[in-house]
Amino acid sequence: MKKSLGNKKNSLVGYLYLLPALVLAYVFSYRPFGRTILNSLSLVSFSGLRVAFVGLENFKNLFSDKNFLNSLANTFKFGALFIPLNIAVCLFFALLVYRKRRLNAFNETLFILPMAVAMSSAALIFKALFNPTIGVVNYLFSLSIKWFDQSWPAMFTLVFLGIWMAMGLDFLLLLGALRSVPPQLIEAAQIEGAGAFETFFRVQLPLISPTLLFIFSIRLRDSMLLSGPVMVLTGGGPHRSTQTLVYQMYLDGFVSGNYSRGSAIGVVVFILTFLLILLAFRSEKRRIFYQ
Amino acid sequence: MIKRNLWLNIVKGAVATLFGLIVIFPIFYAFSASFFSVSDFSTYPPKIFPPGFSPHNYVRAFKESLLLRFMLNSLIVATVGSFIRMAVAVLAAFAVAQLKFKGQNFLFFLILGTMMLPADALIIENYLTISKLGLIDSYLGIMSIYLLAPTQMFMLRQGFKSIPKTYREVAAIDGCGDFRFLLSVALPMMKSLVLTLWLHSFVTIWNTYLWPLLVTNKPQMRTVQVGITMLGYAESLDYGPIFAAISLLILPSLIIFLLLRKRIVAGIAAGTIVG
Repeated sequence: MKKSLGNKKNSLVGYLYLLPALVLAYVFSYRPFGRTILNSLSLVSFSGLRVAFVGLENFKNLFSDKNFLNSLANTFKFGALFIPLNIAVCLFFALLVYRKRRLNAFNETLFILPMAVAMSSAALIFKALFNPTIGVVNYLFSLSIKWFDQSWPAMFTLVFLGIWMAMGLDFLLLLGALRSVPPQLIEAAQIEGAGAFETFFRVQLPLISPTLLFIFSIRLRDSMLLSGPVMVLTGGGPHRSTQTLVYQMYLDGFVSGNYSRGSAIGVVVFILTFLLILLAFRSEKRRIFYQ
Repeated sequence: MIKRNLWLNIVKGAVATLFGLIVIFPIFYAFSASFFSVSDFSTYPPKIFPPGFSPHNYVRAFKESLLLRFMLNSLIVATVGSFIRMAVAVLAAFAVAQLKFKGQNFLFFLILGTMMLPADALIIENYLTISKLGLIDSYLGIMSIYLLAPTQMFMLRQGFKSIPKTYREVAAIDGCGDFRFLLSVALPMMKSLVLTLWLHSFVTIWNTYLWPLLVTNKPQMRTVQVGITMLGYAESLDYGPIFAAISLLILPSLIIFLLLRKRIVAGIAAGTIVG
């Protein structure tokens, strides 16, 4: 009798412990998610009220709109440049320093230091560095590129900034993966007469591939959600050539007050990221499995 | 063969250091440029090293902008926000791992499910919610969407699960309730994990940009990450005060980062810090 009473009290307390998290999950995730979907299928007034149900009309308009297709293309363009370059650079750095030596510990620290800088500071620094007249980048590399006045150079400033901000984490993940490759395997390959390239492609690369896949999927997701660096560094310009999906959602939803359209873009972003997050979870599991 | 390897390693190390210096160049430049005068920015070739160490830009950054207020806002939001975030996560994780009640796993997965819904795609609706609640230009509004951390909850649950249930039963016999058990036995046992997660939360909230930009209108309520992009010198060549502000932001995080480097690296290896 006493025991069952204790259990009952216990169970109520359990719900109480979960309550704050449940309320937050409802208020800031599930409810806005449901409303975003409803709004994307409706005509919404400036004050945020749904006026009429319009079905897929908003999506039809969206996919026939040059501006949106441009944002979609830019988002993928960024991802297509940023992800492979980022992985190549971080992998190159990790391969340089993965053997534990005194100097390498110092080099390792240099590569992860960008982690200590927040996005808006980093973007402001890059804005000055790439400034065509006073900027150090043009001078040091003897270039005369007007970085922010042309579409491809502007896109590349975002890519460089993206790599710089992602480097610390991705470099460390790859470093850990390379270090967990059993040294006997590498020695065995070398005894068999494999060169550095062969050892890398035949032994190391297959063993670190789960980590590569993991980095690939989190960065793909980041690319789909890119907005902050665009706002600070390029403002979407020149001529909307660096305008991304979430940035356009911000412009449509907040600057123009077009909630149905903003919500429809939101739904597109959900669908894109949902698939990619699933991919990330799968690769995360495998990453831990291999380690 | 050995000699060749030695040379190869020296070359590799030197190449790595060279690239490393390129990587940290933006940070170096920010500190350096914080000592430039207005005319130092317009010289050709552009200056890279500071001409001297005049605190002029630092004084101006504080005098001509609300920098101090921005920093205070960020400090309050990040401190209080990461504390509430940790409390919410600890309570939920503890309940699911140590207590027994109906539907606990379902409810927990409901919370974890929010990971599938990226906050950036929900900003419009969340903005409307915050504005309806009258929380625009408030600290609570800025920290609101960061208070739930499903990934952290998941890791904390793993931690709490590793504490044998007999500990709690023994504690209960001695008259120690669940909440006191959580505070004085379970949490101290997971000190290292809790500290790592708390630090990560603090940095996440401190660094965030888009959301605080949306939910603040009054300049006095801006967080520092939003505030520094609005210091207003950007269009002219008067970058000095901006770089002074940036340097002031980077310096403490750089020091903390270097001090806690080992913990951060270990945290990433263990999967506690991702993205």
